[in-house]
Formats: sequence, C-alpha cells, structure tokens
Amino acid sequence: MRSHKVIEIRNLTPSTYIIKMEKKDFTFKTGQYITLGFSGSIDRREYSIYSSEQDKFLEVLIKEVEDGLVSKKLKRCKPGDYLDVDGPFGHFSLKEDEISKKKFLFIATGTGISPIHSFIATHPNMDYQLLHGVRKEEEAYERESYQNNNYILCTSRENSGDFYGRVTEYLKQNPVPSDTVCYLCGNCHMIYEAYDILEKQGINLGPIHTEVYF
Amino acid sequence: MKKVAFKTLGCRLNQYETDAIASQFQDNGFKLVPFDKEADVYVINSCTVTHQSDHKSRNFISQANRKNPDSVLVVTGCMANNAKTELEGRNEINYVVENDHKSSVYSLVEAHYNGEIFHPSKINSDLFSYGSTDKGFHTRSMVKIQDGCDNFCTFCIIPSVRGRAVSRPIQDILDNVKNVVKNGAKEVVLTGVNIGRYEYESYKFDDVVEQILDLEGDFRLRISSIEPDGFGNKFLGLLNHPKMTPHLHLCLQSGSDPILLKMRRMYNIKRFKEIVNKVRSVRADFNITTDIIIGFPDESDQDFESTCNIIKDLQFGHVHAFKYSIRKGTRAERMPAQVDERIKTQRSEVLREIADDVKFQYRKQFIGKEQIVLVEKTDGKNAKGYGEHYVPVVFEGCELKRNHFYKVKIKEITKDTDPVLIGEQVK
Ligand SMILES: Cc1cc2nc3c(=O)[nH]c(=O)nc-3n(C[C@H](O)[C@H](O)[C@H](O)COP(=O)(O)OP(=O)(O)OC[C@H]3O[C@@H](n4cnc5c(N)ncnc54)[C@H](O)[C@@H]3O)c2cc1C
Repeated sequence: MRSHKVIEIRNLTPSTYIIKMEKKDFTFKTGQYITLGFSGSIDRREYSIYSSEQDKFLEVLIKEVEDGLVSKKLKRCKPGDYLDVDGPFGHFSLKEDEISKKKFLFIATGTGISPIHSFIATHPNMDYQLLHGVRKEEEAYERESYQNNNYILCTSRENSGDFYGRVTEYLKQNPVPSDTVCYLCGNCHMIYEAYDILEKQGINLGPIHTEVYF
Repeated sequence: MKKVAFKTLGCRLNQYETDAIASQFQDNGFKLVPFDKEADVYVINSCTVTHQSDHKSRNFISQANRKNPDSVLVVTGCMANNAKTELEGRNEINYVVENDHKSSVYSLVEAHYNGEIFHPSKINSDLFSYGSTDKGFHTRSMVKIQDGCDNFCTFCIIPSVRGRAVSRPIQDILDNVKNVVKNGAKEVVLTGVNIGRYEYESYKFDDVVEQILDLEGDFRLRISSIEPDGFGNKFLGLLNHPKMTPHLHLCLQSGSDPILLKMRRMYNIKRFKEIVNKVRSVRADFNITTDIIIGFPDESDQDFESTCNIIKDLQFGHVHAFKYSIRKGTRAERMPAQVDERIKTQRSEVLREIADDVKFQYRKQFIGKEQIVLVEKTDGKNAKGYGEHYVPVVFEGCELKRNHFYKVKIKEITKDTDPVLIGEQVK
C-alpha cells in the first residue's frame, strides 16, 4: 500500500467529484481499480481509475452516496492530504488484439463511466459508442472528453439527454450488431438486464466484460 | 520426547500447511499426538470464513488450555490475521502467528524452548518455504502452488487475511512434486487459494498442470478447489490425461445470475454450465463437486430455487453448502436486505436434502464399474480409500497395503448421507 498526495479536487456536481493524486511509480492496466482510503484508516473502498495509463497523475471519479461512509469522507479531502492507494486490481480490461480492430459499445450507469473514460483516454483512436445512463443531464460527467457523436446520454428522470429512458430501453430500441465488443459497468440491475438483452441480440459476453459497483 | 498436537480448521490449504509444519516437528524429535490428548505444544491452524469457524477455533483454544495449561499454545491461520488483537490479548495463547509467518511456527517453538522469546513478526516470512509433507497424516501429498486472491468477491474475507495473489516459481513446484513422488506419494493434490489464477513469469495454471502430468512416476494428479474462471481450453484438454483424476471442485456459490453479480463472481450460470458440459464431454461420469452459499443478501425464494435447480441439473457429486455469515470489512456486510437466519436455516435443510439425493444418484452409477482405489487404511483384508473420482470406497482383498493402488469392482453402495461404495479387489 502506498501513500499518494492529493493534488486537486474537481467538483462536477454537488455530489460528484474527481480526486487527482500524484501517480509516483504506480502502473495499471486501463479498466482496473484501486482501493482508497485516508492514510492509516481501515475504511477503504474500491474505485475504478478514471485517468489514462499514460497520464502523469492518478484520478478517480466518485459520487457521494447518501448515508455512505467513505464517499462522504473522501469528498472532504483537500490538496496536500495523503490517501492510501492499494492495487491495481481487477480483470475488467480491453484485449490488446481487439483495441484497434473492433467496434466497441460501452454501457455505463452513473460513475460506472470511470473505467470507460480511462479506456478512451488511453486509446483515443478506438472505434466506440458510449451509452451513459444517469438520472439527470448534470450527471453527464465531463462529456466533452468524448467525441460528440459517440456519446449517448440516457436520462431516466427528465427529458434532457439524447434519449429519455434507461440504457436498457435504448438497447431494446437500437439493436447492437453482433460483432460489437461490449463492456458494462455500474449497478448490477442494469448489468443483469443489459446482459440479457445483448445476449438475445447475439452478443457474446465473457467474464472480463462486466464490472459491478453495487 | 516432547509431544505436539495439531487442530486444523477450514480449507485444504490449511491442511497442507499443518502437514508441513507437523513434519518439521517430527523431524526434530517431537511426537505427534491427537488434539484431545495432553501435549507440550498445541498448534491451532484456524479459519475465519464463517462465524462458525471462528467459534470452533475459540473452542479449540479453550480445550487445549484445559488439557495442559502449561503448554505452548500457538494460534495461526486466517483467524490469527483477522482477530489478531483479540487473540494476542488472551493470556493462554503464547504466539499468534499470521499466515505469512506460518511456515516458521516450528522455529518459533524451538526458540521458545531455548529461552528466546520472539514476536512472530520478527521471524522471516515466506509463503512457500514449507518443507515436504511426507510425514503428514495422509497418503495424498499436497503441493502448494499459489497463495492469496485478488478477486474480491463481496462476501469473502480471504483477500484481507491471505493477502494478494502470489504464485510459487514453477521449478520449485516441479521439484516439490518429484520429491514427494520419490518419497512414495501416489496422489498429488494441488492446493492454493485461487489456483486457476496461477501466474509466474509466462507460466499459467495450465502450463503447471501440463508439466506436472509430464513428470515420470506412478502417481495421479488431483486438482482441488478451483474457481470457474481463469482457466481456458488448454486446461480442459489436459483432463483426459491418464494421470489426471476425473474430479474438480468448481465453486459455484449460487445458481442465480443476479446473486452472482452481487457477489462479483467472474462468471454467470451459462458460462458455468458450459464449463461443466465441456468437462463432462471428456468423461461423462466426471465428478464435479461445489460450494454453495445460502442466504446471501437479497437472495429471494426465486434465486434460491434457481440454486436448487442447478444442483439437480448438473448432478454435483457433492455440495458443500454453508449459510452466509457476515464477515467484517467485506462489501456484503454493507448490503441492505440481509436474509433472516430462520430463512437461511430452512433453505439449508431443503438444499441438503436435494444435495444428498443428487450425491446418492451420482455415486450409484459406479455400481458394476471399476475404480482404481488408493488405500488409506487397511488391516490387510479390508481396505478403505478413494477412487479416482474421489468417491470413498471400501473393499475386500488379500494382502492389501496402505498407499497402494488397487483395481476394485463396485458391487453396492451404503445408504447414509455420505454413501460409500462397496467393492471387491479385481485380481
Ligand atoms: C470494483 C469497484 C469499483 C468501483 N468504482 C467506483 C467509482 O469509480 N466511483 C464510485 O463512485 N464508486 C465506485 N464503486 C463503489 C464504491 O466502492 C463505494 O461502494 C461507494 O463509494 C460507496 O461507499 P461508501 O463508503 O460511501 O458507502 P457504504 O457505507 O459502503 O454503502 C452505503 C450503501 O450505498 C450503496 N452504494 C454503493 N455504491 C453506490 C453507488 N455508486 N451509488 C449508489 N449506491 C451505492 C451500497 O450498496 C450500500 O448499501 C466501485 C465499487 C467496486 C466494487
């Protein structure tokens, strides 16, 4: 476990923020996660890495969960504080031989967009489409990071995104070509439903293609 | 002669580690005695996977202390990691040794008798420096190939008590296997926490298996417990090797996809069934045994029913089922919708009946067939051991010897909860 100094906190919405930390000699494979907590604290949680493999810093995208312990505490951290980082962990990763050859569909809910952001920032020339499921438009975290035509915002609580409804509804209405490589990240209800829909559309999903947050 | 007694709880890896430590004590002139007898040294190799295992470990600590309050009492294993402060606070325990220092239990006791008192953390840590287990308690020789796990299933405390995945160098493993076979071991069992994720330099799990199978000698190989992820077609291709035993313990945990997702398991039901079908296409009577967790948070009646159905469907040779219990610090601890204890108990009873029935059906198919039994106990005329499928067999013959293979024709099966095959030696 290493101690990393916080460089900056970027608040994206009243509840969601990005912690930028020094990277030191930390290396990872895009899509992996770390566990994070205040130095010395036993309360630690998993967070996908938001920044790219080549960035000179380490970033995570966190939503403060109502009644949550760690996401609330971390929101109060300040530049200069130290956080304990352990990892990297996880098998949610791209296959080297597919990156420049295949067409990708990324499906994320909420902060589940974090490892997808890292995928795309690491491999900016990928051929991808990104479905982002949120409640309201303000949760389109750093939308400018993605090429406009490739990012589809699905809003479930208000008609302010590119599609009014859940990502699963979008998938039903817009079938996916069966040679697409799909990656799913976020809450397990979405993943369970989307998985089912995609399988019926002829997509073959292996174990490395889903990352459940809660 | 000083006496030492061991108690092992939990997994096979613990069993292996106890055997290795016991050998070290024996090599140094200690006499091995049963745990309920008076001894000079008691070693409890604990487990912390469920509440029940913690409870049992605590009972054994008290038992040892009652038998001989002046003994040197050592507690090691996962509970030593997980409840270190509590255990270190108990006066009757002399040493609390965490997993990564477990291989030095003997050195610690030796130092103790020489009047040097070390804190266990001051002794070298090495996950693989256990000697061989040839003087252990079994005819099967376990070989540790890996330790730790990085999967972080949401119910599991192992990553925090066993640490991150570490693989043993392949050459050490091969040397270890050659050594135990040279010393007479007839069955080699690979152990570790998550052996399918073995990775050392460019070698993966299937490479290790392949190279062991290629070694010379009269032995058979058993893969113990393995996760249904992390291995590929190459491994499946090795399953019909003559030295490979047709038995895999593939941990399923639940028959419901929503629950598997909440557990953050790395497969779904479809994939699990595919693996089982591939394995059984190698040999239709392949013994597949499994672990099931009953009453994971949010497990509905329907989820539970799916689990019951898959047990019937896949005809597991044995189901090791346990009720979910909260482990501190895991994600599942923080999940809402924890299942009521009474419901867990009811479900356990339902599942046990199904599992017993399926086990009986599975084992019954061996009547009329032959098994190659490795004898563990015999009086010369009657013997007991396990066939290649890891089903217990008793049989009659003449001049039967322990640690020998015998071809046995199966005639009958007993009707208890762990049905035993009854047979006759084929000459
Ligand atoms: C592999 C992995 C990667 C993750 N990556 C990220 C990430 O990049 N960004 C991020 O914000 N979170 C991520 N999470 C979730 C994160 O680990 C914590 O669970 C989350 O921050 C809540 O922690 P807490 O201590 O505040 O709440 P807790 O006290 O742990 O939990 C409170 C309750 O909130 C629920 N909950 C957990 N996460 C969420 C959520 N995101 N939205 C709504 N409810 C939730 C839990 O089920 C629990 O009942 C990830 C989880 C995993 C397993």
